Amino acid sequence: MLAADHRDCTNPLWPCAMTGAVACLAGLEDLAVVVHGSSGCYFYPASLIGREIHGTFLLEREVIFGTEPRLREVIEELRGRYGTIAVVNTCVPAIMGEDLQSMLDDHDVLVVDSPGFIGDFERGYRRALARTEPAVDPSFCGVNIDGVTLADPFHHGNALEARRLLGLTGASVGTTFCLDRYAAVHRAALFTVGTNPDLASGVGEWCGSLLGLDTVIETFETLASVCTGVDARPVFREVARAEQRIEKACSKYLRRFDPPRTAIFSEFAYAAFAAETLERYLDVEIACIGSRNEVRDSGFPAEQVTDFTRIRDMLLAAEPDLILGSSYERTVLPGAAFVGLTPPVRGRVLLRSRPLAGVEGTLWLMDEVLNACMDRRRRGSRAADGDR
Amino acid sequence: MNSNPSPSNSSRFEGCTLTGALSVVTQVRDAVCVIHGPSGCAHHNFSLLHATLADSDGVGVPRLISTALTENHIIFGGEEVLEACIARALELSPPPASIFVLSTCVVETIGDDVGAVCAREWGVPVIPVQTAGFLGGVFQTGIVNALLAAASCADGAPGDAGGVNLVGEKNLEADVDENQAEVARLLGMLGLQVRLRFVRDVRTRDLARLAGAAVNVLREPALLPVGEALRQRFGTPYVDSFPVGLSGTLRFLEEVAGVCGVDGSAAVEHEAAIQEGVLARFADLAGSRVAFDRVHPMLDGDAAAIGVCSELAEALDLVVDPEGTRLPAPYPAPVGTAGIRRMLHRWRRLIRGRERAR
Repeated sequence: MLAADHRDCTNPLWPCAMTGAVACLAGLEDLAVVVHGSSGCYFYPASLIGREIHGTFLLEREVIFGTEPRLREVIEELRGRYGTIAVVNTCVPAIMGEDLQSMLDDHDVLVVDSPGFIGDFERGYRRALARTEPAVDPSFCGVNIDGVTLADPFHHGNALEARRLLGLTGASVGTTFCLDRYAAVHRAALFTVGTNPDLASGVGEWCGSLLGLDTVIETFETLASVCTGVDARPVFREVARAEQRIEKACSKYLRRFDPPRTAIFSEFAYAAFAAETLERYLDVEIACIGSRNEVRDSGFPAEQVTDFTRIRDMLLAAEPDLILGSSYERTVLPGAAFVGLTPPVRGRVLLRSRPLAGVEGTLWLMDEVLNACMDRRRRGSRAADGDR
Repeated sequence: MNSNPSPSNSSRFEGCTLTGALSVVTQVRDAVCVIHGPSGCAHHNFSLLHATLADSDGVGVPRLISTALTENHIIFGGEEVLEACIARALELSPPPASIFVLSTCVVETIGDDVGAVCAREWGVPVIPVQTAGFLGGVFQTGIVNALLAAASCADGAPGDAGGVNLVGEKNLEADVDENQAEVARLLGMLGLQVRLRFVRDVRTRDLARLAGAAVNVLREPALLPVGEALRQRFGTPYVDSFPVGLSGTLRFLEEVAGVCGVDGSAAVEHEAAIQEGVLARFADLAGSRVAFDRVHPMLDGDAAAIGVCSELAEALDLVVDPEGTRLPAPYPAPVGTAGIRRMLHRWRRLIRGRERAR
């Protein structure tokens, strides 16, 4: 049946709900994650998230005769090695309609029904997180960190930066969703700050995001007002110093060059943060934002897009000097300055942890943008020298 | 791969048919690949292909269109969506010279008749490739099926004749072009040239050159069904593998020379001298204690690769000892003398590293 609003998708650039669910759960230690499906469904999230996960690696005969024996076989083998086992369902067993939870009633297994066809990465992430049934410990006056996912190249840097900032203020760090022990999910702290609001956990009282310097200040003001013992002044001082350094570097750049016309492609929260930061400090014109997920009101020209053909059209029409996005976007305009904001970032070695959130995150963004723009100008100068 | 699945049953880990097939047909640069299934399947594969291209400095991005099936299509059937998707593919700019249609395990489960949709009159070849994720076989099945599907674009009227086709290069391996260069070097010593890389970086019209070669050189023996099908269809003899190992490389020269009716003795002698030079460069490894590991717990040992390891251990006077430096058995086996040379550099790095650690 062809629905009027159905659109096929050329070179889809964003992972499916199953991958989102796996990325969420695999960040929790002591929790085995089993992809219940084919080897093809296993290999992609396994390569994306870089943590040990498991699979049932279904074969055709199991689709015909039922998957229960195979699922039990895998679970039995994992039993004893992990505190809890989570099974993430994929498309084919979901279509078969087996009731996995009933099948496994005699096992302590968390079944997450998140087949790829239900939607995108974020949907699967949220569904998996909800399935873990997070709970707040009302006696724990600390601060959770959320928005962390193994699929994000900034996940480790963001978690470290958030913990550092909380430590500066004397706040107790609660649960990191999802980069923590599984047990920590069930005794979360009263308050929460986010490193990526697109993946907000909904656990604890939301105190704000850590994306952007102004937002960091607002968030710590809130924390200081609700959370006993939090002294936000060290963070405010650090923000002021960072802002001074950024303004000095940007002023120097703008004495020589015009601001880069900029196109941004990423999850919406990261895109909005980057757009606001670049507009504020470098007076850039945001030519377009292509959001991998649902768009919210931002004041910037933004649309949700995961179709590579549409992204190519947007980039060719925008003619940006600077692209923030994934290496997919880089291939369209290889001559533009490029900053890797969105997975995948191929063709570059990324070993150390990079934050996008917090004070260090904004400094990182501005470092990368200014250096990329200056490198592009140097490349242009060298090419012109070569022509002469 | 960085994960450790369970339980141990290696027959289950051989990958997705769709990925294998896409590794072939996306190398037809003016084609569009329609993937009939949920968009996640297309994304997984596009991500993989993109990564491979980025790492090998490849140019261009393959055009994949997903029919992006949702729950509704799974309930009511997806043939209408497929038809609309093929029609849209034909409207792309530049227009495709051919369209490969690949199914997924979801489509196989719901029973769409992909072949019937492709068989309609579309104006360009619309070629179904038998892929259905794990319901259609494994990664290697996808490669074989895709090569056979691509062969349907060859019309059997060669125009010119001669030269060597390379059949089924492993497009996802990092050193695919270096391996091709090595085979081309060896063929050049016999006075032969590569006629067609079937299938790597070609256009639809190039596929017609599949017919008329003096010999088809298969990338590996797993492609025997393809070699046999091409022999029956075009009468082209085949050699069943790229050259593997020191002695295997010399045998490769002899075999190709024999099939093509040229005198290969001078080439064999020259290559043997090159191999002596390579071994001399690594003579410092003599006496080192080594142990050969499987490259990954999920992969069975490659018999050809293990044979190369044993041959080199003997040639370099290495001592195979379970307590020795762990050397990963290559997967797949290195191609030709140049492949061995590059592998020996990696071995030396590991052996010296172990010595430094003591």
